[in-house]
Amino acid sequence: MEIAYREIEGRSGAYWLLLAVLAAVTAAGLAGAWAMEHHGHIVTGMTNQIVWGMPHVVAVFLIVAASGALNVASVASVFGKDFYKPLAPLSGLLAIALLAGGLAVLMLDLGRADRLVVAMTRYNFTSIFALNVFLYTGFFAVVALYLWTMMERRMNRYAKPVGYAAFVWRLVLTTGTGSIFGFLVARQAYDSAMLAPMFIAMSFSYGLAVYLAVLIAAYAWSGRELDAAMLRRLKNLLIVMIAAVLYFVAVFHLTNLYFARQVAFERFVLADGGIYPALFWGGQMVLGSLVPMAMLAHPRLGAARGTVVAASLLVILGGLAQMYVTIIGGQAFPLELFPGVEATSSFFDGRIHPYAPSLPEFALGLAGIAIAGMIVVLAVKLLRFLPERLDARLGESS
Amino acid sequence: MRLGMVIDLKRCMACYGCQMSCKAEHGTPPGVFFARVLKREEGHYPTPRMLFLPVLCNHCSDAPCVSACPTGASHYAEHGIVDIDKDKCVGCRACMMACPYNNRYFHDERRYYFGEAGPTPYEEICSDRHPEGVVMKCNFCRHRLAEGKDPACVANCAAKARTIGDLDDPNSTVSRLIKERGGFTLHPEAGTGPNVYYLAP
Repeated sequence: MEIAYREIEGRSGAYWLLLAVLAAVTAAGLAGAWAMEHHGHIVTGMTNQIVWGMPHVVAVFLIVAASGALNVASVASVFGKDFYKPLAPLSGLLAIALLAGGLAVLMLDLGRADRLVVAMTRYNFTSIFALNVFLYTGFFAVVALYLWTMMERRMNRYAKPVGYAAFVWRLVLTTGTGSIFGFLVARQAYDSAMLAPMFIAMSFSYGLAVYLAVLIAAYAWSGRELDAAMLRRLKNLLIVMIAAVLYFVAVFHLTNLYFARQVAFERFVLADGGIYPALFWGGQMVLGSLVPMAMLAHPRLGAARGTVVAASLLVILGGLAQMYVTIIGGQAFPLELFPGVEATSSFFDGRIHPYAPSLPEFALGLAGIAIAGMIVVLAVKLLRFLPERLDARLGESS
Repeated sequence: MRLGMVIDLKRCMACYGCQMSCKAEHGTPPGVFFARVLKREEGHYPTPRMLFLPVLCNHCSDAPCVSACPTGASHYAEHGIVDIDKDKCVGCRACMMACPYNNRYFHDERRYYFGEAGPTPYEEICSDRHPEGVVMKCNFCRHRLAEGKDPACVANCAAKARTIGDLDDPNSTVSRLIKERGGFTLHPEAGTGPNVYYLAP
């Protein structure tokens, strides 16, 4: 069956209201960034010990999800599953939008955002951060090219090779993002080769959850038809991805527990670290993984669109909790300057570093999500990203 | 030449002279101490003892902060000193995440010790040395070394617990102290090659 893509009308009051809300959240985030720039990081919860805060939690989540959102398109072109073909353009659009949202937050949080040109022109190639500048900008280019080959009929024959390139690029990109933490030899929370593959698994799960939530909302709000069989396959895929993340998280923590030097940190993050174990067990594990898995796997409930959306949102919230535990929890645990010795000072040594995110940080983080949302909302109105109807038979012969 | 420092923990009596002289030399903002002193209690009654552990940037030979810095702002200067080119720093704080020794500070905004009363004349002069939105750290007082002087923390140590010298020269005082007294570094397992050595108390 031929796939017919069409822009959404986007003339309703609800459409403009959604756009206005997203614009307002973005404006609030920009105001937060201005406050941080004007008054310094003293208006945030960040300190010289918790150097990356709430904006980084959201930014890294969005960047990881961006790579995973492209997965649906990859399944179609790389693994030859024509069934997913109609879903591919939205997949590419989400990948670009999420990455743009995440990078916007990171850029606005820089101490000297005005020196972005320096970051883009002077590279230290031993730095994973510098390499990520290439990976992120390259990702935009590769996915844009991929979208062109998918959406321009004359270019369709190149979709497969470009899809392969995009797939490899996204794997390398997420490896790079995971390695930001994996290469941190300084901190007990990180310094692990496990983090790169774990971030890849996380990207599959977060990206697909975002994709599902956006897909269902877009089709429901534009009154288009969305086939139950198509949704069933996607939600089953999400169950597998959540399970993969659980596997990596379990192996990561179990491995750490075998190393004597890591036990104190594991006890902190899993048992007696206050907010961090609560977020790990309650947020990431129960609400963000086990509950959505049970919801999606339920034979009757799992088929309902509302359930799929709710489960996807829970996976997203669980992902944010996971990022909070990883990024903030990893810094809150004190660096061990003299191993085996309890050293203190009148400054910050030897104690758990407190962190309470402030309003500007929340605003900036939410702005990243809103920027991604605005890009998607505008793009589906201006360009043909969504098939007129999504039927399981679509794309099978095309 | 590889510049390094040896700190004799037996001599350190926690007068905090290093901490204060460093602060005076660099005029750092409130809360920023390039050199600081940690304390630790050891043993039990009736023979407890208090140990003091002065810490500063370790000027590592394979510094993770230099590797992590995306723009090359953190770099190796002369004699292996790790320093920051403040004009290249974008304030991403990647180096602070990477430093295993917690010896870097983010200078987000000018702050003064007397709050609303504004800066003292001394703070006014010093604050110009520290641009905002970038990371700052100990640089072994490069400006003093260039004049043939010791770093402020070394020159002002009342107990002469600190010695600076060439670690590549086997006959230098620092090399001899390390060899004779069994100098050790912090976190050798991290493979960063710290150039600050400690002599056991």
